[in-house]
Amino acid sequence: MLARVFEEAGMSTTGVVFVKEHAERTKPPRMLWVPYAFGNALGRSGDPLIQHQVLKAAFDLLDAESGPVLEEFEDDTMPEPLLQSSGVERSEAAKGLNPADELTSLRPYYERWIEKNGGRTAVGVSGVPQRRFRGVVRFLEAYSAGEDSDFDGRPDGVGVPQFIRYCVDDLKAFYYEARMEQRPGAEDVEIHEWYWGETAMSGLIVKLAESMNQSEDPAVKAIPYGLAR
Amino acid sequence: MPRLETLSEVQRRMLQMFPCMEHDDAPWTPMRKPLSESRVAMVTSAGLHLRDDKPFITEHQGGGDSSYRVLPRTTAPADIIQSHVSIGFDHASIYRDINVTYPIDRLEELREEGVIGSLADNYYSFMGALRDSSKVYTETGPEVARKMLDEGVEVVLLTPT
Repeated sequence: MLARVFEEAGMSTTGVVFVKEHAERTKPPRMLWVPYAFGNALGRSGDPLIQHQVLKAAFDLLDAESGPVLEEFEDDTMPEPLLQSSGVERSEAAKGLNPADELTSLRPYYERWIEKNGGRTAVGVSGVPQRRFRGVVRFLEAYSAGEDSDFDGRPDGVGVPQFIRYCVDDLKAFYYEARMEQRPGAEDVEIHEWYWGETAMSGLIVKLAESMNQSEDPAVKAIPYGLAR
Repeated sequence: MPRLETLSEVQRRMLQMFPCMEHDDAPWTPMRKPLSESRVAMVTSAGLHLRDDKPFITEHQGGGDSSYRVLPRTTAPADIIQSHVSIGFDHASIYRDINVTYPIDRLEELREEGVIGSLADNYYSFMGALRDSSKVYTETGPEVARKMLDEGVEVVLLTPT
């Protein structure tokens, strides 16, 4: 859709799409359809070679004389489907754990991850420093229990429901990055299934989503679908 | 994928029913000169933004957040984060390597190799998975187009997440 806007403005466009059926309907001028899982537009993380191959194929579409052009990028990769939380079986062991203590036990791995990655971390959307995440957990526990709770440090102009979404995204990024450090070599799907199946934190997030789903307030009810489903 | 037949029933049905704008043909701006002489910008629908910028929101009244963020090209990956509304994609991948969605390093390499003529000073980011993209189509998209034209952009690379 953006491709159409930019092309109409006088620029040539090319790019990558995941869902061929959508591109067939919207008809962007030039697009490369890739066979990868959502989140992997350029093929694979840490693989500059495949990323360059995808880019070359996308830029090659600029040579077409007319369009629309929707070309398939050939790769035999068959990505494993990413299960949502309801599709991952929760282990019995995770049910007895405390999310705040679990988070603390992962902190050394998370901090090592940042150190190794030149300071790069996906944590930061909530604006709360990770050293205060135990407090965030207490806030989310109280909220999911139906208490009228808030967090000292919620940014101005960000309502409580939206802030909860940002906190949950930050906690998830914290856990994923800690786990990538703790289990080097783990596939993305393994990390995802560990998070949703074996951690106390995901149990809290599922409970929180269920609680927000009960609300009559549309601003609250809009959030849980993006927390866990 | 995603080949639809490889997805779960729920995800397949959601994608098939997703409200896309439909067109019979495509606008077409031919290349005026080779890529090796052209100025290229990148626009992503990955919901990326600067660490100290305002995150995208989960819009509950309209069809999604139609705003955009400017990402100066020289921004370090450590200063870019993502607040995408969808949880239906592999987040671990971009946590490991931003280039899998937003190939900033790859574009620099292509410029150094002479494959691309030059790179714009600014790239742009929107939210994807909008259920109503009309405001992007009529307002914020054209606004970004004007900015890119002012910066001399001739070719735009689009990436999703």
